[in-house]
Amino acid sequence: MSSVRGRAWFERITGGAELVTGLPPSVLAADMTLDGHAVRVIAVVPDANARFPLARKGDVGIDEGFGVAHAVSGTPLKSAILAIVDVPGQAFGTREEAVGLQRALAASANAYIRARRGGHPVYALVVGKAISGAFLAHGLQAGWIGALDDPGIEVHVMSEAAVARVTRMERADITRLASEIPATARDIRSFATFGAIDRIFEVGNPDAPSDVDLEMVVRALAGALRTPELGLRNPRERLDRPGALQTRALARRVREELQAQWDA
Amino acid sequence: MIETLSYEYPASDAVDRRAHVGVVASGNCEILLEPARNGNASVVVRTSVTGFGATWNAVLARFFVRNPVAVQIEINDFGATPAVVALRLEQALEAAR
Amino acid sequence: MSALLLAESFAERGARERARALLDAQSFRELIGPFERLASPYLAAQGVVPQSDDGCVVARGTIGGKRACVVATDGRFLGGSVGEIGGAKIAGALELARRDAERGTPTRTVLALDTGGIRLQEANLGILAVTEICDAIVALRMLQPVVAVIAGRVGVYGGLSLSTALCSQIIVSEGARVGLNGPDVVETESGIEEMDSSDRPLIWRVTGGRMRFEQGFATALVADDVEAIRAAVQHAFEAPRELGPLEPQAFPDPRLDLDTFLRAMGIES
Repeated sequence: MSSVRGRAWFERITGGAELVTGLPPSVLAADMTLDGHAVRVIAVVPDANARFPLARKGDVGIDEGFGVAHAVSGTPLKSAILAIVDVPGQAFGTREEAVGLQRALAASANAYIRARRGGHPVYALVVGKAISGAFLAHGLQAGWIGALDDPGIEVHVMSEAAVARVTRMERADITRLASEIPATARDIRSFATFGAIDRIFEVGNPDAPSDVDLEMVVRALAGALRTPELGLRNPRERLDRPGALQTRALARRVREELQAQWDA
Repeated sequence: MIETLSYEYPASDAVDRRAHVGVVASGNCEILLEPARNGNASVVVRTSVTGFGATWNAVLARFFVRNPVAVQIEINDFGATPAVVALRLEQALEAAR
Repeated sequence: MSALLLAESFAERGARERARALLDAQSFRELIGPFERLASPYLAAQGVVPQSDDGCVVARGTIGGKRACVVATDGRFLGGSVGEIGGAKIAGALELARRDAERGTPTRTVLALDTGGIRLQEANLGILAVTEICDAIVALRMLQPVVAVIAGRVGVYGGLSLSTALCSQIIVSEGARVGLNGPDVVETESGIEEMDSSDRPLIWRVTGGRMRFEQGFATALVADDVEAIRAAVQHAFEAPRELGPLEPQAFPDPRLDLDTFLRAMGIES
C-alpha cells in the first residue's frame, strides 16, 4: 500500500515550487521561502517504476538514501531544511543488502548531521509512518520535529510480525506490551513522551490537508524557522526536555556516571 | 514470567574481593559475587525458567557445603544446566580468592 | 612466554574480554561496571532476565600508549541489542571523546560492536539513542578517527549498521556480517522468495566481511585473531585510511552497474 501523504504535504507546503533536478523520482526536493525564511523541503515518495522493486512504495532504499543525501548536501547557503516524513520502512531485500543499504541510509543521516552542524537549521514534519532505519535516515536528525496527531502515524523499529519472529513472542503479547510499556509503543503520542517531538498537530484530513490544516502547520513551521536555534539543536539535547527528565532518566544517569568515572 | 528465588546458607570463610563471571545467554548464567558482611551466604536467583527451586537449592547447597564462604551472590539465569551453574560458581569463587 | 604462533580467537571472547584485548596490557579500566547494576528495567516485564551491564562494556585505558576508550557490545546477550542503557553508554563515551578532542587531550575511540541492532523490548529508547550515536560519531570524526571493529559472531545489523557506516575506519573479520535488515527480517517482510534466511552461503556472499571489504565499505579485513585485530586498530589510528565518500556524484550512481554487480553475486536483478 503506497502512501499519498508525503507527496500531498510536500506539494501543499511548497505550493508548486520548482523541483530540484538530478534526484531519483522517489526523492522530491524544492527550494522555497516560508514566511521570509529560505528552506529546502525534502520528501521520499512512492515511485512505481523504481529500479529496486522493493522501494516502490515509499520505502527508503538505496537510491532514496543516496538521493536524500544528495538533496541535503546541495542545500543553498543560509537555507534551512524541512524533511517531510512518510516512510513506511527501509527496503527489505536481498539486492538492497548486497549493494549495502546500511551505507545508503548512513549517507542521508550523515548529510543531515553535517548540514545541521554546518549551520543549516533542520526541521522535520512527520505526516505518515516513520519506521526504523528509514526514520533514522530521514527525519530523526532534525533539531525540531513536528508530527500530525493521527492513528495512521506509526513510529517503530520493526513490524509486529518481524518482532514476533525475532523475540519468539506471541503477536497478542506484543500488542498488549505496547499498550503497557511506552518504550515499545507504536503511536506518536507515546513517542512524544520521550521528548523527541516538539509539536503535535490535530488536522482534519492527513491524506489531503485542507486549507485550515495547512495554515496551522505552516504557521507553526514559520514560528520554528524564526528561531534557528531550534533547528540547530543536536539530538543529545532532547535529554534535557521536560518529558525526558523522567522518561529517559536512565540515559541521563549513564551520562553522569560516565563523566564522573571518565578520568579516574 | 520471571522467577526470583532467595536462599541462605551458613558460612564461615571470607573471600578477598568481588567477582563477576558469565553471561545471560541461552543455557548460561551471569554471577555477581561479593564478600558478605554478616557472616552468612545469601543467594538471589533471577531466572526465566520457572519451577526449578528445588534444583537450585540442591546445586547451591552442595557448593556451600564444600565452600562455606560468606558471600552475597546474584545469579541472572537464562536456562543454565546445574552443571553450568556449578562451573560458574567455582569460576566466581576462584576469581574472588 | 615462548612465541607460540597460535591464533587467539577474538570472536570467542565476551565483550569485556574483547575490550581488554584491544587495550594495552594491564591498562583496562571499566566504567559503570556490572556491580553498579545499571541494568534494563524494561526486560523483566517482557519475560527476559536482564544482564548487570546491559550487554555493553565501556573501558578506558591506552592503545599504543595513548589515551583510549573501547566500547564493546556483547552479542551473546539478546543478540547484542542496544537499548536505553547500552545506547547511552555508547553515545556518552563518544560525547566525552569529542570533549577531550576539543580540549586538546584526544582519546582514541574504538567501537567493538557485535549487535543485531536496536533492542526491540525498548525500541523507542533504542532508536533515540542510535540517533544520538550517529550524531556523536560524525561530530567526533570531524576531529579524529573513529574506529569500528566488527569481528563478532553476530556482526552488525539494524540501526547500528547505519551508525557503524559513519565511522572513519572500519575493521571487519571474514566471519562477521554487516547489513541493515537481518535475513530473518527480510524473509518475514518480503517473503522467502526474496530471501531464504536458512541459505547461509547466500547470506555470507551478500553481507560477509570479505564482501564488505571488497566493496570498499571497510578499511581492513582481518582474521579472527586478537593480535591481528590489535595491529589493525593501532594502524587505523596511526595511518588512517579514509573510506570513500558516502554521497554519490549523480543519479543513477555511475559507479554502480547494478545488473553486472548482482549477476556476479548470483542474484537475479
